[in-house]
Amino acid sequence: MNRSYYWLILALSVPAFIWLVPTIWMVSLSFQPNDVLARTTSSTALGLIPIPFTPENYIALFRFGQVPMWFLNSLIVSVGMTVAVLAVSTTAGYALARLDFPLKGPVIVLCLMGLMVPEQAVFIPLYTMFADWGWHNSHHALILPRVAVPIGVFLMMQFFKAIPKDIEEAARIDGVGWLQIFWYVMLPLARPAMMTLAILTFLYAWNDYLWPLVSAQQREFFTITLGLASIQSNFAQAEGLGRVMASGVVASLPVVVLFLIFQRYVVRAMTAGGTKG
Amino acid sequence: MPRHHIARPALTQRQAAAILLLPFLTVYAVFLVYPFFKGIWISLHDWNLMAVAFNPDAKTFVGLQNYERVMWGRNITWGAWSSPGLQMLGLIGLGAGFLLYRTGRAGKVTALAILIASLLLFVLPGFHPGEGGRWYDRRFWPTVGNTIVFVGLAVPGVTITAMLLAAALDGETRAKAVLRTLFFLSQVLSVTVVTLIWQIMFSPRQGLIANLTELFGGSPIVWLTAEGFAMAAIVIATIWWSLGIAMILFLAGIQDISKDLYEAGALDNATGAKAFWYITLPNLKRTITVVVVLQIILHFQVFGQAHLMTSGGPNDSTQVLVRYIYQTAFRDSELGRASAMAVFLFVIMGGFSILQFVLGREKDQ
Amino acid sequence: MKHMILGASALAVLATGAVAQEVTLGRFFGDCENAGTDTKVTVGEACIIQSIINAADAQLDGISVSTLPTDWGNYYDQIKATYAGGTPPNVHVMHRHRVPEFASIGALADLTDDLAAAGIDPSDWEAAALEAVTYNDRIVGVPMDFHANLWHVNMDLMEAAGLVENGAPVLPSSPEELLEHARAVKQTTGQDYLAADFAQFPIGVRVALALIWQQGSNIFEGDTATIDTPEARNAISAITQLFDAGLANAQLNYADSQQAFLNGEAAILVNGTWVVDFYSAEAAKDDQGLNRYFAADFPTLFDEGATWADSHMWAIPAPLKANDADTYAAALQVLAFINDHNIDWARTGHMAVRSSVLASAEYAALPHRDEYTGTADIARDTPPSVRYGAIQDVLNRELQAIWLTGKSVDAALADAEADVQDLLDR
Repeated sequence: MNRSYYWLILALSVPAFIWLVPTIWMVSLSFQPNDVLARTTSSTALGLIPIPFTPENYIALFRFGQVPMWFLNSLIVSVGMTVAVLAVSTTAGYALARLDFPLKGPVIVLCLMGLMVPEQAVFIPLYTMFADWGWHNSHHALILPRVAVPIGVFLMMQFFKAIPKDIEEAARIDGVGWLQIFWYVMLPLARPAMMTLAILTFLYAWNDYLWPLVSAQQREFFTITLGLASIQSNFAQAEGLGRVMASGVVASLPVVVLFLIFQRYVVRAMTAGGTKG
Repeated sequence: MPRHHIARPALTQRQAAAILLLPFLTVYAVFLVYPFFKGIWISLHDWNLMAVAFNPDAKTFVGLQNYERVMWGRNITWGAWSSPGLQMLGLIGLGAGFLLYRTGRAGKVTALAILIASLLLFVLPGFHPGEGGRWYDRRFWPTVGNTIVFVGLAVPGVTITAMLLAAALDGETRAKAVLRTLFFLSQVLSVTVVTLIWQIMFSPRQGLIANLTELFGGSPIVWLTAEGFAMAAIVIATIWWSLGIAMILFLAGIQDISKDLYEAGALDNATGAKAFWYITLPNLKRTITVVVVLQIILHFQVFGQAHLMTSGGPNDSTQVLVRYIYQTAFRDSELGRASAMAVFLFVIMGGFSILQFVLGREKDQ
Repeated sequence: MKHMILGASALAVLATGAVAQEVTLGRFFGDCENAGTDTKVTVGEACIIQSIINAADAQLDGISVSTLPTDWGNYYDQIKATYAGGTPPNVHVMHRHRVPEFASIGALADLTDDLAAAGIDPSDWEAAALEAVTYNDRIVGVPMDFHANLWHVNMDLMEAAGLVENGAPVLPSSPEELLEHARAVKQTTGQDYLAADFAQFPIGVRVALALIWQQGSNIFEGDTATIDTPEARNAISAITQLFDAGLANAQLNYADSQQAFLNGEAAILVNGTWVVDFYSAEAAKDDQGLNRYFAADFPTLFDEGATWADSHMWAIPAPLKANDADTYAAALQVLAFINDHNIDWARTGHMAVRSSVLASAEYAALPHRDEYTGTADIARDTPPSVRYGAIQDVLNRELQAIWLTGKSVDAALADAEADVQDLLDR
């Protein structure tokens, strides 16, 4: 640790603070009374400090709001999607990376081609299919389309390919079956990659807006992302700015907390991935 | 011939592969491959969302008419100088491509990619309505252009910022860990929280930015409704939002670089910015490719920011392709036309994917 | 013993009117979660409609109503998606201008022969209201209001500029006078004369449309777009002269323009009838900004009076009538309840649709109601079209291009006419 290190940290603290300002502002506005915000958003320190202060927006939110229900939907969809993506991606990724079978080349190419198909290019046919099956307004309708996207398979395949052959060969000589090798040898090794994939998938599920917008038409099946969109386009007419911001905070807080707890594991996973050799 | 194993007979490699592949391939076939072809099928029809829902036979096969109506026009002609700026750029690209290839500065594939891109840049903007002609859909090509501008601003913005931050923040110290967390934090917010925050940030009356400008005696910029600023506003919000994952991928990439290289570099007096330029950057090529591919795919599908912050305005300057598809399908109920645009989106993105894939491969070798 | 208990509880259920029939209701107007069931005290569209719905839920025997509110921006996209997905709400609100789009494919239930039995009397509706919900001579909905653009006036600013006579604002009668008044306000108060949402929702479009209609023109007749006209140019220059002279700000969106008006930074706000009760409540508050509020008819700047107007109405999906008689009957009960509370909905500032309500003393006593009595006679809209939404978007885009991005009027009108013609040709 020398002087230039402290200069670096100091120099980076400025952009880091600027980076945080929008978030601080949202939190601060959420603690200010709506009738004050209607006149000015910069009461104290450009509005970055919540004076005058009120917890009223949050109380109203929990007493009347649908935010808790939407939040639960988001959680179900995000967790469900993450689990499903991990399941199909690790199995398929392993098979494509480490096993020999006929037509392997074409299968890989077929899967890679799926990477080129964006969700937004198939959401219309998916919409009509799900409509025909009566699947809209359900959690599985929000989950399944993303499970079919081969990006996870691709990531896991890349990871499994990088594992040295001798680990597998030693197990084969001991007469261990392929599925057992996958389950007992490969999956534990793949934990860092799975973690990365899980986080990517969870964030995607949490943030997805277009597909829930067309598939979830009933409020009971809104995700928090969709619910907030409906709140923010209404706020000019009905609720105050503070209330809308409080919804945004409540929607974000649990994910942020989850991430903060999770983050140590993310970094460790990345480090493990980095020193794998 | 009966076998007498105590354990179940071990699966052959083929059987194991079949079992492991089956779940994914099933989902893949039903929810991606089939819809993809159904989308093409819909794009060949005059298909009204509600009319077909009430009467499945209310669609008519029209062949390629939807594509013509979306992408073509009456009396479209081609001129070498109808859009001088872009076409000149294309010509320069063509020349540069040849030169790079001849001097051996670029590999065969890279040169080919540059040549193809330049050729497209020269040819495509050359089309324009001739005397008395017009595009059938006047909004489609400008919408595509806006999307490309958005990608062209957001991807380098995210990539460069994320790479610099990752290089500066790589390390085990507590302060760096805290800063990493801060920069990553906005990534976990949902698109609607992001648009909510930035809509108010940019508001000329209530916005923090306006409050700041007024504090310094300036008159606030009306970001979201001023033509020059609306796209910038969306890009700023996007960079703020989606920097985190790119940064994490770069951090992983940097940690993959052997410490020996830096030690050797330090002996040659390469530290700090020099080390970044001569050691970090060359060794990050692969990661950069991965990040750029991910970002292009992600940002080409931009929808929420444009839909919620600017509604595509003003004057369509932030209207992007996915929003146009969404509107055509669900506001205008024209699934056929919308699907034709979706197929177009697929073609563009497929082109990018192939290009990036090939570029990444070449550098690897 | 067990059987007896079961039997008794079954009887109890029968006695209280059986299991509640659930009616799902789709609407816009925004959220209001603590609206209560008192339809006389709520303020603002969202809370007034929700209190009426809550009251229906509480007072209608054997019927429970669950609301599925949706945001404005995506309402029609989503309601269409529910129809296409086979799960439309049992009753839903819509605008008169959307009737052709929905009714032309048979999406809306024909209510003509069922209204009387449900206790709804169509003969009490104003002729224009009946016309609004009629498609091919069949009644496909229950009208709830007429709403129109008004000029919301800050009387303090107008008085300072000498533009008040006999307690009423003096409004312009020509584009030239409009500019004079605007200059007077700027010189005496330093504030803008006029504010409106010229940058987001199509309120600016509706101002321009009104001025086009005031010259006896329209944006399309039959299948022919007629936008690139001298009348449209006159209408647009009447508006842009204010922007050019710095007497109005084109860049404010809905929330910002409303805020400017409430803060006392604009003498006039052009907005709909739906905010009259909200603005009078704001004016009554004891703080700076808007103190004396007046709701005026849209003034006539050209030959004949005209202001943009529309109707909110309630419809039932055709599949419900065909497949589920019980829920259909319950849905009609909900519509009857809303129809009975027409006076409460009118508290928003909207004009009632029932003749008996319009004639009532209670209606006449609503705040500011006597100030915009002329609006009903000048209410106008573009001709019916299945592509109303897309046409509005074209106009919004091109007009915004003129005042926000400096696109030339010639180019914008030519483009708008070509695009609308395309839509009409499809």
